[in-house]
Amino acid sequence: MIRFEGAAKRHPDGTVAVRGLDLEVPAGRTTVLVGPSGCGKTTILRMVNRMVEPTAGRVLLDGTDVAALPAAGLRRGIGYVIQQAGLFPHRRVIDNVATVPRLLGWDRRRARARAAELLELVGLPPETARRYPAQLSGGQQQRVGVARALAADPPVLLMDEPFSAVDPLVRAGLQEELLRLQGELGKTVLFVTHDIEEAVRLGDRVVVLREHGEIAQLADPHTLLTAPADAGVAAFLGRDRGLRGLGLRPADSVPLTGLDPAPTPDLDLGRRIPYGGWELALDPSGRPEHWTRGAERHPVPVFVPSRDSLRAALDAALLAPSGHAVAVDAEGRAVGTASRAAVVEALAAANGTGTGAPTPEQVPHAGR
Amino acid sequence: MLDGEPLVRWHWLGDHLGYLADLTADHAVIALVPVLLALLLAVPLGLACARFPRLYQPLAAVFNVVYALPSLAVFVVLIPYTGLATRQTVMVPLTCYALAVLLPTAVDGLRAVPEPVRQAATAMGYGPWRRLAAVELPASVPYLIGGLRVAAVSSISLAAVGALVGRGGLGYLFVDGFQRTFPTPILAGIALVALLALATDLLLVAARRVLAPWERGVAR
Repeated sequence: MIRFEGAAKRHPDGTVAVRGLDLEVPAGRTTVLVGPSGCGKTTILRMVNRMVEPTAGRVLLDGTDVAALPAAGLRRGIGYVIQQAGLFPHRRVIDNVATVPRLLGWDRRRARARAAELLELVGLPPETARRYPAQLSGGQQQRVGVARALAADPPVLLMDEPFSAVDPLVRAGLQEELLRLQGELGKTVLFVTHDIEEAVRLGDRVVVLREHGEIAQLADPHTLLTAPADAGVAAFLGRDRGLRGLGLRPADSVPLTGLDPAPTPDLDLGRRIPYGGWELALDPSGRPEHWTRGAERHPVPVFVPSRDSLRAALDAALLAPSGHAVAVDAEGRAVGTASRAAVVEALAAANGTGTGAPTPEQVPHAGR
Repeated sequence: MLDGEPLVRWHWLGDHLGYLADLTADHAVIALVPVLLALLLAVPLGLACARFPRLYQPLAAVFNVVYALPSLAVFVVLIPYTGLATRQTVMVPLTCYALAVLLPTAVDGLRAVPEPVRQAATAMGYGPWRRLAAVELPASVPYLIGGLRVAAVSSISLAAVGALVGRGGLGYLFVDGFQRTFPTPILAGIALVALLALATDLLLVAARRVLAPWERGVAR
């Protein structure tokens, strides 16, 4: 666990980067610091590994003031990923990843074996190992950066806008990958971004900062989107907060209507299930093929209740020509449908049952 | 040029092959050993300048002033200390000239390492000296070799001037040919100086490919 106690940074010229931060970063979770540029978020991040020394207050890592630890040793125990990856241009990918283990005194063979494991973990093909960083794409370089940060298995990972410099498609892939990795590894992640979408996507907890590192709101992503602490936070969150909040709610609360007639396994031919004027055509294995009406044929928007969000269910219902979203299982077989009205009912329930209501300790400002 | 004297007397060249080879080898030593010495000095001085930036300006100023001095004048000034016609008379100033080229390239090379690379290295637990030695120095090898190419070629050319104070390998052919109004050795000297410079340059280009493999096949 990382704890900031009145941690402040005043530059020699008198300007204040961080006025005095009190914050607990729980172990094993992802905490995202988000705010406009110049709000001090990077400064806060760097206080943890002493790349910035606070001018007042202190930062505790598992109860120990980091100022009392030797800087180099402290840093070898903390993974760090930055925007431009910062890979060493003169070292092969595998040796980039092996850097911290080597600094810790591992022999080359063991360090390389560990590095090869990590390249696999972050989804890079083995042939990448022998390449030099300049021979990789931006997205691949960031993966190497993440692998390098994880090489010595540090309990804490600091990430400073790691995905900001890659194009949106690659960024979405990297975010997905980080969520998967974090699900496996359970690191204490402190993640800095200026992108609120990224913050609500990745964070277990999101800290919205305003100038001088002051906390405007500290909440889980759904609370943040549905109950911003003040107008400033609401403005920072931008439009469509309610809709985006649905992206964080699972779709398994949507009531499904069974298929009628239910498809039977012994049937060779595909079958058709009527919905008003439309028919849903299934292939022999029960996977949706198309919506059909007379000669018209349309693709079938689907959602997976156990995996997708309410937003995806709503999207499928809106896009379906019949107005019915088709729920499928992991193998893609239709298991039921949900009408637009049914999905909207589930939405209202999700936002109204208080599941996302903020608790007092999550929201430091009472002025809502 | 004397009437009737051909530009090149080929049989003279044939008769003096061993002599020409000796002069070329001598020239290579006089010109290139100073470049190597300068490299050995430039790396630690460059590291010190990168670590303590205040050192750089005064040091660069000293070597620039030395670089501005005419080589012949420096050779003459050194004669009382190193003796006439000794190699040191020529090699000491050549070392200084090479250093005037190599120190700025060393420092620029160390500084050219991108800031994110530096920060990543610091964040992974490299101390300042260790980071310089393990990250910035190897990453700056292409710069250093670029500097070496300039320093080596200019040193090969300057070494010829040393013949005027009694040393200078191939430079002796110029003095000799001029005194005897005999163009063959002059032309042979020019050709051999150019060949030596070319060979040295090719060697350094090859060294860069071996020592900085990460630059191969990467568009920059």
